Amino acid sequence: MSTNLPANFDAFFQEIARSLGAEAVNRSEETLIRYGENTMPGGDRRPAGVVYPGSTAEVQTVVRAANTHRVPLYPVSTGNNIGLGSRSASTAGQVILDLGRRMNRILEINDRLAYAVVEPGVTYQAMYDELVRRGNQLMLDVTSGPPQGGMIGNSLDKGAGYTPYFDHFGFSCGMEVVLGNGELLRTGDGSLDADTLVNWHTSKYSFGPILDGLFTQSNFGVVTRMGLWLMPRPPAVQSFHFTFPDDDDLAEVIELCRPLKLSNFVPTLFRVANDLYLTASEGESPEARSGRSLSNDARKALQQKHGVGAWTVSGGFYGPNEAAIAPMIQRVRDHFGKSGKARYIDHQQAQSVPTLQVAINAFSGKPSLGELGLLKWHPGGGNIWFTPGTPMDGAVANEFQTLCRGIYERHGLDYTVMNVCGARFARGLHVITFNREDQDERQRADACYREMADAFAARGVFVGRAPLDYHALHFGQTMPGFQSACNAVKRALDPNDVIAPGRYGMA
Amino acid sequence: MQTHFTATQLQDPGIAEADTILRTCVHYGFCTNTCPTYVLTRDENESPRGRIDLIRAMLERGGVPDAKTVAHLDSCLSCLSCMTTCAVKVDYAHLIDRARVHIEQHFNRGLTDRLMRALLATVLPRPRLFLALLSAGRLAKPLAALLPGRLRVLLTMIPARITPDVLTSQVFPAEGTRRYRVALLAGCAQQALDGDINAATIRLLRRHGCEVVIAPESGCCGSLPLHMGREADAKGYARANVAAWMREQAVGLDAIIVNASGCGTTVKDYGHLLGDDDARRIAALTKDVSEFLADIGLQAGHLPAYRVAYHDPCSMQHGQKVIEQPRALLRAAGLRVVDVPERHFCCGSAGTYNLLQPAMAKQLGERKAAHIVSTDPDIIATGNIGCMTQLAHHLGRPVVHTVELFDWATGGPRPAALDSVTLREPAPEIQTDSAPAANAGFW
Repeated sequence: MSTNLPANFDAFFQEIARSLGAEAVNRSEETLIRYGENTMPGGDRRPAGVVYPGSTAEVQTVVRAANTHRVPLYPVSTGNNIGLGSRSASTAGQVILDLGRRMNRILEINDRLAYAVVEPGVTYQAMYDELVRRGNQLMLDVTSGPPQGGMIGNSLDKGAGYTPYFDHFGFSCGMEVVLGNGELLRTGDGSLDADTLVNWHTSKYSFGPILDGLFTQSNFGVVTRMGLWLMPRPPAVQSFHFTFPDDDDLAEVIELCRPLKLSNFVPTLFRVANDLYLTASEGESPEARSGRSLSNDARKALQQKHGVGAWTVSGGFYGPNEAAIAPMIQRVRDHFGKSGKARYIDHQQAQSVPTLQVAINAFSGKPSLGELGLLKWHPGGGNIWFTPGTPMDGAVANEFQTLCRGIYERHGLDYTVMNVCGARFARGLHVITFNREDQDERQRADACYREMADAFAARGVFVGRAPLDYHALHFGQTMPGFQSACNAVKRALDPNDVIAPGRYGMA
Repeated sequence: MQTHFTATQLQDPGIAEADTILRTCVHYGFCTNTCPTYVLTRDENESPRGRIDLIRAMLERGGVPDAKTVAHLDSCLSCLSCMTTCAVKVDYAHLIDRARVHIEQHFNRGLTDRLMRALLATVLPRPRLFLALLSAGRLAKPLAALLPGRLRVLLTMIPARITPDVLTSQVFPAEGTRRYRVALLAGCAQQALDGDINAATIRLLRRHGCEVVIAPESGCCGSLPLHMGREADAKGYARANVAAWMREQAVGLDAIIVNASGCGTTVKDYGHLLGDDDARRIAALTKDVSEFLADIGLQAGHLPAYRVAYHDPCSMQHGQKVIEQPRALLRAAGLRVVDVPERHFCCGSAGTYNLLQPAMAKQLGERKAAHIVSTDPDIIATGNIGCMTQLAHHLGRPVVHTVELFDWATGGPRPAALDSVTLREPAPEIQTDSAPAANAGFW
């Protein structure tokens, strides 16, 4: 906290109960235990209570009360970012501001201009259901993570999907934010002081600075409403897949993908997944309790069982029908065929392979559960994600593979990664699953993450999204000027440091 | 999750199984997102992982469970939505069943509760007895307001329209050449409430070349007593069915057909319930009627493209994972299938749940009804008698079984339940069921 005044939790909860009703506050023992749980190595973080606002005005009431009583709030939307923090706060003793329970309304869907306006509790599944109900003319971009994840929370944490609208923050337009000082802000064209706002969710770049980015991966305010752009649903989606036998084939895969994205010939991102990323969702590691990385023999056996090689590339096309797409797929087949090592898996075949069906669902804007199975690879409830990136340069990508594979193996963990490839850059989603109840495994997972974070930073590569345990670490990796600018904004917009102190390293 | 059972406790196979299941739960919390009772209450003890913790404590402690634990476990729908969502596939179904057995054996419920449960467990599995009470109940319905809580609920839940038809054991020959020989689980409560379902099923199967057998001495599947913790009763029903169908299998049986998905989930799990080879054989032969028809192929349908809101029974989507087949068959029948938003959510029927937990069941029923209405359907269809009754009650309009539509499409009569419904002439649409048509918008 920026002042020395102690937090007065009792007075805060009394004020919230008075203003919002007693049912808006939950301090039951079970709730406090569960809201403190997460999957990270650092342990659980028991909050002081949970508050459920029902509107933007109620969020303002809560934030103002937090300022009055110096109480730290930790906003969550649906709390589904498993592996990055779940619903647990930056530190124990914060008050969870659970926006998902009551602020879960779809405020608007504009079918002609193809956008939706939502509150923080609106999930991918809820939006998908609503679009289907309205005739299935529009497609949302989804993650391959939990269908019950929140659209706003994912956008603000810089989450992404796989369709042409993959960049969730990039395809958002117009926010409503309760700042840390309790004031209300509308961004973009919503900043106009008018009763009717025509372009709030259609235009981002009208008069004045673009403030929206301030509320991604930050703790300056609470976003209570956001516009999100939607894509007209294509009548046909056809995926294509190529699998490569050897680990070092990654270099060639990246080289093959790049021109297809630079030209935008392929409209989806490429999912370039290694063997374990695809197969780990289908069962438990046969050597889960060995304390060592999976043996090469076991890895080869898994590849054989699931019909995939060391790396598998997935992409997709959209069109009016399958026949119209077929020539485009043929061009991609010809292109990958140059390699001589790629084995083609067509759309129909892929539909019967659960791990590839996940990709088809993702390209089709359909939420699905398949990838959550990754979490049971190493039983015991531990899971963190390390998300550095690589330029779309095969040699560099392969160098990073060698680096990470070595670090995983040194810590007795299984190298499990998917590179999500655009034109110039690929985000590497590295999964670490471990037994959280075993101190040795917990320590190895933690040490593995930290070693990779240091190694990549030393090579000039930063992470994207990060587990809450490592926010301070990553903020500490930034240049002094960045830190002082962030802290200055924090002081300006949240002078009493009531919004998620410590989140993203800023307090 | 760590457990602390003693070696003596673990000698009990039921406890040993519960221990194994409990250890797989790691509290990711995905289950809470899709658990109806948690979503409505935000009470951790009303969530699967909260209940799992309560079960662990109850079984570890042994003996008489506390009333709070019993209340939270009683309010579980056993919809198994949590099992679909769970990343590590905790076997919640068998865990909650074990907990219910423990409660039944150790907890002294109040007199009213005991009587109510005994009444349901005795009457519902016996269709003729149920029919007699149903008829008496219909006469008494105008007096419902004068009755105490649960009895009032019982009476108000009696459907306005019942078409009982309790089948005796018999063989219905195939039309034309016999291609398959199948046994049909005639069911218990369903026969008293809606005989049209079995009639349509039998017509449909015969039309598709099936000889249909109602096996002597087959009856209630045991699901209702099982989910009330009366495991011994459930096993008794299950053993009788296994014996009955094994006799038929000796003659030759291609499948055991179930048209009430709640029963289907239980019969498919006979291997676990009885733990013997015959039970496993029977379980492996069992198919929901829509699964079987999808396998053998539905004759070409000719219905106009009415909008059908298809409601997934939990036992179908979460219990049996039969999700696409009913939709594909409805489309093959010429109908336009519309999905109901929040389809992973229970309608509140859940066996006897809407009779034992009426307040929660009412909330869920109303929520589901609102979602169904939002799809602007001509027809509402589902595959489980419990859901049909619950939905019709909260919608105030008829709900048909999917087999009635398959039957109608392939030459059977229009479902009688739709007599009071005026179906709109289907409008020409520019889209298919799963995506816009090729001439829609830019595409």
